[in-house]
Amino acid sequence: MDHFPGTWGRVGGTKSPNLASLLTSPQPRNDVYGAYDASYLQTSGPKAHTSSPAVTGTSVVGVKFNGGVAIATDNLASYGSLARFSDVKRLRSFGDKAMVGFGGDVSDMQYLDRLLESMDIKENYSAHGNMLNAKNLHTYLAKVFYKRRSEFNPLWNHVLVAGFDGQGEPFLSSADLLGTTFSAPHLATGFGAHLAVPILRRKFPEELPLEEVTQEAAVEALKECMKVLFYRDARSIDKYSIAVITKDGIDLKEDEQIQGQSWAFAERIKGYGAQVV
Amino acid sequence: MDKLVAQYSRPPHQNEMYSEQEQQDLTASVPPLSLKFSLPPVDNHSAFLRAMTDDHSNPSCPIKLAHGTTTLAFRFQGGIIVCTDSRATAGNWIASQTVKKVIPVSRLSRGEDKKSDKPTPGLLGTMAGGAADCQYWLRYLSQQCTLHEIRHKRRITVAAASKILANLTYAYKGYGLSMGTMLAGMTPQEGPALYYIDSDGTRLPGNLFCVGSGQTFAYGVLDAEYKYDLTEEEALNLGRRAILAAMHRDAYSGGFINLYHVKEEGWVHHGFDDMNPIFWKTKLEKGEFSNVTSAL
Amino acid sequence: MTSLIGQSENIGYSFSEPTSANVKQHSFYPYTDNGGSTLGITGSDFAILAGDTRSTSGYNINSRMVPKVFKIGGDDETGDGAQILLSVVGFAADGNALKEKLDTVVKMYKYQHGKPMSVSACAQRLSTILYEKRFFPYYVHAILAGLDEEGVGALYSYDPVGSYEREQCRAAGAASSLIMPFLDNQVNFKNQYVPGSGEGHALEPVKAEPLPKETVKALVRDAFTSAVERHIEVGDGLQLMIITREGIEEIYHPLKKD
Repeated sequence: MDHFPGTWGRVGGTKSPNLASLLTSPQPRNDVYGAYDASYLQTSGPKAHTSSPAVTGTSVVGVKFNGGVAIATDNLASYGSLARFSDVKRLRSFGDKAMVGFGGDVSDMQYLDRLLESMDIKENYSAHGNMLNAKNLHTYLAKVFYKRRSEFNPLWNHVLVAGFDGQGEPFLSSADLLGTTFSAPHLATGFGAHLAVPILRRKFPEELPLEEVTQEAAVEALKECMKVLFYRDARSIDKYSIAVITKDGIDLKEDEQIQGQSWAFAERIKGYGAQVV
Repeated sequence: MDKLVAQYSRPPHQNEMYSEQEQQDLTASVPPLSLKFSLPPVDNHSAFLRAMTDDHSNPSCPIKLAHGTTTLAFRFQGGIIVCTDSRATAGNWIASQTVKKVIPVSRLSRGEDKKSDKPTPGLLGTMAGGAADCQYWLRYLSQQCTLHEIRHKRRITVAAASKILANLTYAYKGYGLSMGTMLAGMTPQEGPALYYIDSDGTRLPGNLFCVGSGQTFAYGVLDAEYKYDLTEEEALNLGRRAILAAMHRDAYSGGFINLYHVKEEGWVHHGFDDMNPIFWKTKLEKGEFSNVTSAL
Repeated sequence: MTSLIGQSENIGYSFSEPTSANVKQHSFYPYTDNGGSTLGITGSDFAILAGDTRSTSGYNINSRMVPKVFKIGGDDETGDGAQILLSVVGFAADGNALKEKLDTVVKMYKYQHGKPMSVSACAQRLSTILYEKRFFPYYVHAILAGLDEEGVGALYSYDPVGSYEREQCRAAGAASSLIMPFLDNQVNFKNQYVPGSGEGHALEPVKAEPLPKETVKALVRDAFTSAVERHIEVGDGLQLMIITREGIEEIYHPLKKD
């Protein structure tokens, strides 16, 4: 056992302390545990499983309104900085009253889609029909994410789940690759967390009761968010999908185009490309 | 043909549910008797653990564990004195000033330490190093000692108990446990017995041990004053004084002085006392600690 | 003995050569810190557990309403009938997994033994649950609260791998270093002296006594409003749970949202 006071009670310790190490700071004992390997702490570098996603989707944005939830993603799947696939639908329905919006790795999204599809089929074959609401679905997805992160084999996604909870109230919640979950009246993943959430928080302040948020206002806000994201998110595209979930079912539009773009603000940006000052 | 069938009937996804066994483990209200610890799924799990928890090599490591510090125990003609400080640190943060670093072993209902003059039968273990490691494994040792009593109809010897613990720590060598513990007890077979066991698997019998970051300071006082023929009063005071020296000079030690005496009939608790008034009393009445001015 | 762990070939020896840094293939970092702070204080017939409701990742606020205090062993989703409270702060997903595991254990205990689990038993069990992941720890600081067999408020605090202690008060999480010294002074009366009891060494320390419920509630609120002023990861809302013989009362106070 290591008896050098400075290192006592720690995973490391001193290795046969010589005079030099006694006079300077104590050295961690590397003979038992190996060298201190800080690479476990870094989040970039070569990876084993999906720990560097190849084909990825960007933000997902969602808003709750009086009587339902609206959710939107654009239709792009990027390969690094290359806009590789411009017609990938990242909104998937589950049953007839829940939607999942996927950000992150597209292959993991497709895997989860298969998983959810088989669960939906299994549920529908059961005697009672598919009773799983969006809240149940979110709990399940979060547990899958958490289990896979605990195996160090993460599903590289950040998803929003939209629909209704057990009481029939509008439900919107997020789950990410580590299994972290949180819920709020409006949510956005990825770049949207920086750009869309401030817009939504301004349009629908916390104090505003949900009853006063109309479906039209929510959809309008989402469209504006998609536009702002297209302006500033280099991994986005101007074609997007938007779904409105209400008691009547899901209204999913998958081939929307961002309207009323104005690039006037770009004219004032100097310093890039060929331009005369 | 089977291969072909297998290829096309492969499920579209792996089983993402918990296995039967995992579900059973989740719902069991009693912890498993076999030692099952989940390991991080990486090649070198102790390197992973160290990267996450070694606040010495990397002060900004994410998970900071509580560590205990100065403990001492010595044999004398009247039994064994066990004395500790009460500070736990996590990095530079004082996580607690009220840690009970003397843990009774070999009675299962440990309960809270009620002040009592009647000796309690059983062994005492001390805690230095990882607080959780010491608490958990001394608790595990209590379980084994109780089982020993039931099986053999007599109390376990300190030698046997310490060997259980040493075998255990040796089996987990290299996993990253951190504990330096002393076991003290008195049995008809051995008389007063004191053993030192640590997380490397070391097990040593002896007359006198100090363990932890403040050990050098405690040894300094203890070695100067220690005799086997100390009276009970002298021995208690010496234990207290040695811990006080360590608390004064070692930043990782402090809080309260926790003092125990192990006798033939069992152990007796001699108080969990704030070091501050004791320090000033020692200084002002005996003139020790002249490095500190007495003016406040 | 080695068979107990089943991986005897992985045991390292102190005389082995220093292992060179192995092939880098891990780099997946399984933890994150979701910020926030929790706090528990006990009295003679109650225990209070409180936490802010902000969830952060980096400088982003994920949500302003993510509770950190949970009822353990209640009857259904609402947690009615629970007699134990748990707060977790650190990595929220680990915290959730821990909460659900303990909740299941306490429920199963009730079904198997026909009586609710005592707080001291639950405290010991929580320690072993945390220690089962000693080598891949839960990144959480847990606090458990309830009433003991005599009806006195009981509070247990934990480190990430399960060392625990019963205490009068404890703050955990991002702002623990701001709140804990305040509690030392206001709950345990550290460094408070009886006025006029003397000068210098003759000063008599104030004796710590259990505080009344209203005082403790005010202290909790002061602790959090102050922490919000000086810590970016704390804010939005204060969730307070008070456990007494009558049951659990839940209170919510807004905090600053900046």
